[in-house]
Amino acid sequence: MSKNDAVSLDHVTRAYQRDNFEVRALDDVTLTIPERGFIAIMGPSGSGKTTMLNLITGIDHPTSGRVCVSNEEINRMNENELADWRARHIGLVFQFYNLIPVLTAYENVELPLLLTDLPKNERKRHVEAALEAVGLAERMNHYPRQLSGGQEQRVAIARAVVTDPTIVVADEPTGDLDAKSAEEILTLLSHLNQQFKKTIVMVTHDSRAERFVDAIFRLDKGVFVGAENNLVGGGQQ
Amino acid sequence: MKFTALVLKNLLRSKRRTILTVLSIAVSLFIFSALTSLPTVANRVLADTASSVRIACRTKMGQAYPLPEAYKAKIAETPHVVAVTPDNFFGGIYHEVSDQFPNIAVDPERIDVMWPDWGFSPGGIEQFKKLRTACLVADGTMKRFHLNVGQQIQLRGATYYPVNVSLTIVGTIAKGPAPSFLVFRRDYLEEIEGRPGRVDNFWVRADSSQAVPGIIQSVNAKFANSSAETQCDSEAVFIGGVIGRFRMFFTLARILGLIVVVTIGLVAANAAAMSIRERRNEIAVMRSIGFRSPLILRLLIAESVVTALAGCMLGCGAAFALLKIFSVTSDVLGPFVGAMQIPPPALLETFLAAILIGVLSSYVPARSAARRNIVDTLRVVD
Repeated sequence: MSKNDAVSLDHVTRAYQRDNFEVRALDDVTLTIPERGFIAIMGPSGSGKTTMLNLITGIDHPTSGRVCVSNEEINRMNENELADWRARHIGLVFQFYNLIPVLTAYENVELPLLLTDLPKNERKRHVEAALEAVGLAERMNHYPRQLSGGQEQRVAIARAVVTDPTIVVADEPTGDLDAKSAEEILTLLSHLNQQFKKTIVMVTHDSRAERFVDAIFRLDKGVFVGAENNLVGGGQQ
Repeated sequence: MKFTALVLKNLLRSKRRTILTVLSIAVSLFIFSALTSLPTVANRVLADTASSVRIACRTKMGQAYPLPEAYKAKIAETPHVVAVTPDNFFGGIYHEVSDQFPNIAVDPERIDVMWPDWGFSPGGIEQFKKLRTACLVADGTMKRFHLNVGQQIQLRGATYYPVNVSLTIVGTIAKGPAPSFLVFRRDYLEEIEGRPGRVDNFWVRADSSQAVPGIIQSVNAKFANSSAETQCDSEAVFIGGVIGRFRMFFTLARILGLIVVVTIGLVAANAAAMSIRERRNEIAVMRSIGFRSPLILRLLIAESVVTALAGCMLGCGAAFALLKIFSVTSDVLGPFVGAMQIPPPALLETFLAAILIGVLSSYVPARSAARRNIVDTLRVVD
């Protein structure tokens, strides 16, 4: 892993036991993702895209191989260390937004900041800035049920970036949205990448994403089949 | 403190479920606090009523056997004895069987010396000493049956004495040994009964509390090896013995209280498990954004403890209010009004029971949710 790499997977395999069969969701994958890149991971269903995201975020562990994110080998960390590490370095965006329904947009965005030592007024400043960045400053007191799907996803993105993480990881962020909202979300992620220099790793089936990203990593049946563009390096070993 | 809003908002997620859980815990802790208060209340009654200079002498064979009336003079000769008052438990019925209250026949001469703490109404004692059919009635009984001084009443004899007594109320007792209570003259009962000369108890008043052990020893020795040996005890021991007969009831009450708490604990556990199960996905999301499992566990348990403490406050508040209303409106509590409270130890026990309900009811489902595999919960295996 070079100093300019945000993520490095080194001979990573993730196998699951299904009854008497071993299923290899990822099979000996080696790749690197550069800092400040906007990467899409694409491939058919069951190709291991989400498994790769789970390994990068530390919510899953490789069966073998090394996962380094921001120069830290996260596969050696225990659960509590991983939780602390995620709070500092990872911003997560889910397909179905996964906002807490009893909390307002403001409170949802504030949630990761509760894990920091920031005083209340500082938290407020960060939350308002994040909601401003996603264009939802006027909706901060709305509950998720009072927002459209696109707006919910924007709140989720604000929650992901409010702690100023090293990497924003998005799993099918446009998967549950109409075309217009999907376009808006992709534009927003691209803006975050270009304006705020955030490394963004996104799993998607959405072909519109190809216009926004710096590179596309293609997976098939758990194997890394190649990257489309010259920003990134890697390949199946 | 920064997680308080999160805990409270999660509690209000399903208001109906939270309210029902709080109410069920409140009812159980109300019952628990009331039942655990019983022994303490009984002990307080004992402390409030017992005098340090009064001695009760009964037959060694047990309450069912009488003592000879002739013992009175012999006991009175004992050094340091100020007064001796024999009593007989009449156990008569006023109107209906349900209208029973303790009624006791006593010798009138030294009643004011024996029980100066009873709060006799002015002039009542003088009339009691003058009139053979006189009776003194506790305020609680006066209010309960709407009686007046000067009124004539009849008590029907029951188990102990198959005779009726017609009595004239000459005064009242404000602080008698029981909230509802009546005393009349023993010479009148003796006359109706044909002068059998039997006594249930002799009450003995000492000139000082230091003299009590000596008097007890002396009286017991005086009648040792007679056909009716005495067993004398200080009033506290005597009343304690009476209350002691209810110890088994108190123990049963405590066990019942615990059963109620455990039962409601299981109900609360079910509610907590449902609430947590519904939020597994959210819990997984919180963990994925950096919340540690132990923090999630603490937050979930905090929700349950807050629910249980709300129930505790409501239950204890209801018990306090009900006892207050009862003591204000009831005619029968008399001097026990002060004792009819939830004592601090029972409050502490109820508070601890609430904490236990909160922690134990949520611990297992919370721990399970906090440790559940994030990937499995989010169902993001692709």
